[in-house]
Amino acid sequence: MFFQQLINGLMLGSTYSLIAIGYTLVLGLLQMINLAHGDVFMVGAFLGLTFAYLGIPLYLSLILAMVGAGIMGILVERFCFRPLKKAHFLGPLVSTIAFGILLQNVGTQIWGSEPSRYPQTAEIAQFHLGPVVVSSIQIIILITSLALMAGLDMFIRRTRMGRAMRATSEGQVNASLLGVDPDRVISFTFFSSGALAGVAGVLTALVYLQITPFIGIRQGLIGIVAMVIGGLGNVRGAMIAGLLLGIIEVMNDAYFTAGYRDIIIFGIFFIFIVFKPEGLFGAFKKET
Amino acid sequence: MLTIKNVSKNFGGLKALQDVNIHLEPNKIYGLIGPNGAGKTTLFNLITALLPVSGGAIQFLEKELTGLRPHEIARLGIARTYQNIRLFPSMTVLENVLVAQNIHTQSGVGSIFKVQRSDKKFLEEAEAMLKHMGLWPKRKEKSTSLAYGEQRRLEIARALALQPKLLLLDEPAAGMNEAESAELLERIQEIRNSGKTVFLIEHDMSVVMGICDYISVLNFGKLIAQGTPGEIQTNGAVIEAYLGREEG
Amino acid sequence: MSGYIEGVLALMGINILLALSVYAILMTDQCSVGNAGFMAIGAYTSAYLTVKMGLPLLPALVIGAALASLIGLLIGIPALRLKGLYLVIATLGFGEMVRTFFLNFEPTGGASGFRGPMGTTLFLIYAWVVGFIVVFWLLDRSRLGRSFDAVRDDPEAASTMGLDVIWHKVWAFGFGAFIAGIAGGLYAHYMFYIESGNFSFLLSTMILLYVLLGGMQTFWGAVIGAAIFSILPEVLRFIHEWRLSFYGAVLVAMMIFRPSGIITRQMVRDLGERLDKLFQTART
Repeated sequence: MFFQQLINGLMLGSTYSLIAIGYTLVLGLLQMINLAHGDVFMVGAFLGLTFAYLGIPLYLSLILAMVGAGIMGILVERFCFRPLKKAHFLGPLVSTIAFGILLQNVGTQIWGSEPSRYPQTAEIAQFHLGPVVVSSIQIIILITSLALMAGLDMFIRRTRMGRAMRATSEGQVNASLLGVDPDRVISFTFFSSGALAGVAGVLTALVYLQITPFIGIRQGLIGIVAMVIGGLGNVRGAMIAGLLLGIIEVMNDAYFTAGYRDIIIFGIFFIFIVFKPEGLFGAFKKET
Repeated sequence: MLTIKNVSKNFGGLKALQDVNIHLEPNKIYGLIGPNGAGKTTLFNLITALLPVSGGAIQFLEKELTGLRPHEIARLGIARTYQNIRLFPSMTVLENVLVAQNIHTQSGVGSIFKVQRSDKKFLEEAEAMLKHMGLWPKRKEKSTSLAYGEQRRLEIARALALQPKLLLLDEPAAGMNEAESAELLERIQEIRNSGKTVFLIEHDMSVVMGICDYISVLNFGKLIAQGTPGEIQTNGAVIEAYLGREEG
Repeated sequence: MSGYIEGVLALMGINILLALSVYAILMTDQCSVGNAGFMAIGAYTSAYLTVKMGLPLLPALVIGAALASLIGLLIGIPALRLKGLYLVIATLGFGEMVRTFFLNFEPTGGASGFRGPMGTTLFLIYAWVVGFIVVFWLLDRSRLGRSFDAVRDDPEAASTMGLDVIWHKVWAFGFGAFIAGIAGGLYAHYMFYIESGNFSFLLSTMILLYVLLGGMQTFWGAVIGAAIFSILPEVLRFIHEWRLSFYGAVLVAMMIFRPSGIITRQMVRDLGERLDKLFQTART
């Protein structure tokens, strides 16, 4: 039973990780939080839903949703960050909130505020590994998330653009010194951030089988919690913290009362941001 | 009145100040000089508790300063200006000076309801000081819209409004032309003559040698010489610090 | 006065109070998006006191706000070590903590909400609004107001000018929380029914938006911002559903063309001088 919950937690947590990484990338780069991120996740979920209804196979659906959500990420940058480069930091922050609400409103117009159901797809295989039952969906989610995270990790360490992203966020070097246009670094960061959220959206829709335009609100907040616990600005920290949060949530629902779940999560969040802002794994910068 | 005893300051592995010992007597003008990065402003930051000391102690009028907070030290009678002029940009010239009021009067929440007699007196004193500094006509202008030299004068006026016993001036003559520097010299001497002690960091040697009674020289965080202007000017270690090792 | 207009004015008054609560904290260069949490504390506490313990409205309001204020002071202390964006995140977390707490707290109804508080009149709301405006006006003209300006402009320079920066910053949190607590109590006793969803991060965001648009340099900006932008959707029906997105676009435009917001310090200063001269000529 315990291991079953652990697997469930990892699965849930991996979607949290994907969302958290997106926040972390933008925070590291611009020292800003993109509060429309949760709603980009929601867009990904609805894209996945739509593609499923169109009969598009899952792997293609994931790729298309990645691109779609990535583009959404770039739009957020264009409208909320770029025009306000010189403004007080609250400007972009509140603008992203407004942009997110815009996405929610549009989503409600298109799909209504009642839950939309994921179409019944082919039967789900179940695998028995000892005491644990794992469905093919869970395997897909775990593999996809881990593959993406590993891919991102390698990308940041090995490619020129990746190094430019890291260097800019560590504040040591202007990206142009590495031969990359700083604006392109920013656009690429927002694209990746959105793409990851989009994948998380598709995978989440696959699990819960019904979604509303408001799912981004809570998932977005949990992503921020994971980012803080993992260490503000630390991508690997965000990954691990996301997994941890998924496990905590599942364990809480299984062994404790579901109602207190969010209090515990936000309580932990508050304690970390106040007493340990460098999180579990440390951050690149502690002060703005 | 101010005793700096064996004071050190470390930033991680960097030793900004090591074993500095300086003693200031009342009613004199003291200078603090040294090449860039010698630790002069750091020492001021330690005295005013903007930074904690790593070792040693600082005493002012028999009171231990280490461990106090900056506003408590200001209330004990130490005021300062800053190398890069830190006026309050949202306030006018007059308002900047009036901030100093808070030290002398009851400024808790109740103060918003009472207009005390001391308010009027303070306003008169502020007026007198600004007139003396030639800033009264501009009293309602935003402090940052003043000319550079005027801003420096305003910062000094603001510090004086605290009625301190010790005034720390961080490069007050920076960016001034000859006429302004000469005027500054006069003002600093006036301040000393009114019963205060002045401790000033300066790069302009004509200012330092011109008015200081006693000078301390820092290099790489260490005190390399202390003495009268005449002694400092002929001190080999000082010359070496500023000009590099002599050949031959 | 029709019930509808009365309702609009009542909510406008409460929004003005909330905007002032954000401004009070912003006065010391601290940005809080958790004031809905303080509002909730004031709302639930005062509602419990009147409905379950039979206290009259006014004492209940003040006690509720006092409790919110106490929590505000407690929050203000750890807030000291958080700058800018990190404080925003922390207050966001605080607001959510309070909301989820009341979602589960059975004595005040938990998820089903709390029914029963009543007694707020339009007069009462605006009595508090005018009262706080007077307080801010007096603050502006006083030594304390100047010390807050100094702390906001340059905390280090303010400290070497003898000002206790910590006291000012923590006090601002307590004061802002008190105002939000009053707003919460008034809200609860006007709406007759409250639930945790009323005190969301979204609300905190809207209030911040009012202050940003109205102008964060003076308290008048918060007042005017809340007054205009809380009733604008009533006037412009078509934006009602989309008002946050619309305001978002307005905010972007504002930050580009007039970053200080509608009301600036200079404006208030100039107006103040003109009024002073008017009174002087009237007297002579």
